[in-house]
Amino acid sequence: MPTEDKNWSNRLFHTLNYSALLLVSIIMFIPFLYIVSVSFAAPEEVVKGGLLLFPTHFTLGAYKYIFSTDTMVRSILVSIYITVFGTFINLLLTSLTAYPLAKGYLRGRRTFLIMVLITMLFSGGMIPTYFVVKAFGMIDTYWSLMIPGAISAFNLIVLKNFFQQIPDGLEDSAKIDGCHDIGILFRIVIPLSMPAMATFGLFYAVGHWNAFFNAIMYINDSQKFPVQVILRQIIILSQDQIGDTASQQDPTDYLPQTIRMASIVIATIPIALVYPFLQKHFAKGVLLGSVKG
Amino acid sequence: MKKRFSVLAVSLLTAAAQLTGCAAGNGTANVPAQDEQQQLEVTIATPQIGEAPKKGNEIEQAIEKYTNTKLNIQWIPAAAFEDKKNIMLASSELPKAFKITWNATTLNAIQSGIFWEIGPLLKDYKNLSALNQLYYDNIKVDGKLYGLPLFRDIGRAGITYRKDWFDALGLKPPVTLDDWYNVLKTIAEKDPDKNGQNDTYGIFLDKSYNDPAASSSFLTRLAVSQGAPNKWGVEDGKLVPEFMTKPYLDSMKLLRRLFQEKLINQDFSVVQLADADNKWNVGKVGIRVNTVASAAATSQENLNKAVPNGVVDIAPYKGPSGNRVPAEPGNNGFFVFPKSSVKTENELKRLLAFFDKLLEPEMSTLLTRGIENKHYTKTSDGKAQFKDLALFNLEVKPYRDSLPSFEVTGTGLPLSMTDLQAKGWKVVADNLPNVVKNPALTLNSGTYSEKGNELDTMIRDAQTKFIMGKIDEAGWQAEVNRWKTAGGDKLIEEYTAEYAKKK
Repeated sequence: MPTEDKNWSNRLFHTLNYSALLLVSIIMFIPFLYIVSVSFAAPEEVVKGGLLLFPTHFTLGAYKYIFSTDTMVRSILVSIYITVFGTFINLLLTSLTAYPLAKGYLRGRRTFLIMVLITMLFSGGMIPTYFVVKAFGMIDTYWSLMIPGAISAFNLIVLKNFFQQIPDGLEDSAKIDGCHDIGILFRIVIPLSMPAMATFGLFYAVGHWNAFFNAIMYINDSQKFPVQVILRQIIILSQDQIGDTASQQDPTDYLPQTIRMASIVIATIPIALVYPFLQKHFAKGVLLGSVKG
Repeated sequence: MKKRFSVLAVSLLTAAAQLTGCAAGNGTANVPAQDEQQQLEVTIATPQIGEAPKKGNEIEQAIEKYTNTKLNIQWIPAAAFEDKKNIMLASSELPKAFKITWNATTLNAIQSGIFWEIGPLLKDYKNLSALNQLYYDNIKVDGKLYGLPLFRDIGRAGITYRKDWFDALGLKPPVTLDDWYNVLKTIAEKDPDKNGQNDTYGIFLDKSYNDPAASSSFLTRLAVSQGAPNKWGVEDGKLVPEFMTKPYLDSMKLLRRLFQEKLINQDFSVVQLADADNKWNVGKVGIRVNTVASAAATSQENLNKAVPNGVVDIAPYKGPSGNRVPAEPGNNGFFVFPKSSVKTENELKRLLAFFDKLLEPEMSTLLTRGIENKHYTKTSDGKAQFKDLALFNLEVKPYRDSLPSFEVTGTGLPLSMTDLQAKGWKVVADNLPNVVKNPALTLNSGTYSEKGNELDTMIRDAQTKFIMGKIDEAGWQAEVNRWKTAGGDKLIEEYTAEYAKKK
């Protein structure tokens, strides 16, 4: 709590503020803790039901089961590939498009912007999009998960506005020193836009990591499925519904619930680990002192 | 800075290289009509069960060898199967055999005539034609058969109960509604788990107790055993929904009374299936209603994790007029054969022959038991005993659940079963002659396609309100009348007309 709060109303406000925030974080944290606990708990304990926050019998059974085949590992590798490479494509194409649109002297800039805006409001729909992807020969390749939607119109516009805030003086001096447009973009504008790059990189990366629907649409080969598809499959399978399964006499040596939770943990951890590394880029003040005004 | 540039250039180049390299289409070659000697290429698309098996595994090879085919199975994740189905239908990228389930889009696709009709051809196949006609009747569209069902049992209902409790309390499986009341009351009040707390239930209902689409819902099972129709009945040539019949109303009244006296869980209208299962698993429930007879042994196993000395038994649903159970659809989807990928009738016949062969003993054994000494071993009395179930579930189950097979009643090697398993399967087999068909199962109604959900919800909510005592019998009748004016009458009319056409 800040110490400069002398008067009580400020203090009250802060107390309430902090308690509310603490409550919200707890509300968000408990389900996650529950998932982690169930994934490590022994089946006997989970079967009893109720909220389980600290398992007494610790077991790795569910994880052993999931990693007993290479499906999960392979799908995680696929997702990592799509996330890293896809995010790179996203950022490259988004900044290449945003930079010229940020310049007032671009001819037909308004028209381009309106074209971008229209795509935000109207889309062709699932089946026409499928035909486009098919016509490009991207069905059953990883490209189908990276190229469609490589530029998000919303991110493009925000990034354009960010680029517009960069003082023109910087670019002018670079031009005087003999730098061309592409050089300016890659050597000056993008390095100065690291906070924006980190932010959008994170958005894009999470999007790729959570890729599910597109993968189902465009990928037919089950060896190429990203992790979310596998995860969803596991979750569906572990909700055995009466009347759907051929027989319910397949004895199970594990508990579906624990398998479900363990797969959620496995699929969430990699992307959760990305946040701390991007944290430093969210810091402000990159532009300070670059232009003497 | 220079260095970064080269990295960028290299990565861009590799990207370009990949783009050009990966842009090959993947059309399947069309096989021209061939004679029987040549391998038939069979492409199948089906929802994924468990992990997608790798192509060319032992099971696939064995099927290919026996049926002289080249198999290519596309496993579609179950989570978005319907969307994928619509895309495949829209883009005409269809396999030769497509496993789909019954719903509105399927019906539209079938009625638009893009699939082969197979009804007249079936008689030429000894295994397919030997099966109970009900399997096929249940998936006919406008009286014609387009699909090959993925067979499932038809009479699956059974009373799975805690024998140890029943014995200790001197109870027998209930027959009449009064029996049901007494049994449930005794279990709820007599503390059969001897923990001194009032925490046991005769039955633990979940919110699917009155699912309007499923013949497996508890209320339908209970009412049918007491003489009600299965979802729809026929009275003087007119179709009548189950909830307008007396036995069904009596069953509802029983639940209402149980609810009033706090003998069933008070939160039944919001309980998830998994929670109801958990209640059973921890030994708080006397009769498990959300399961099937053949799974009695599984119910026992699940129970024994938490209650090691609990004993489970299975009894058929019997009512005043003996064993009477609702017929369930008898399939878990069915295969259709698109005209766009199966070009000639000759090819269609060969495809059907492939499916016919899957029901022969050797294939049946392969699909339901696996490979000898790998998944199962032969016992001294010539039965199959699973050797490694985990391996079976991984390698064989996807095929068993996605290709036509009969798990226990098929032509494959008989399964060595525990007494309880055998008893459960016997209940299923004994049910078959006594099943009550749902006459409206394959009838089409414009009103239902349009407003079915709304109508169903209306009745479901009214039933729940009635059972919870929020409305009385007059209120219930008013709700039924509301349903009738909201489209129920039209629905009845349309079904009746369709039904008369079929006769």
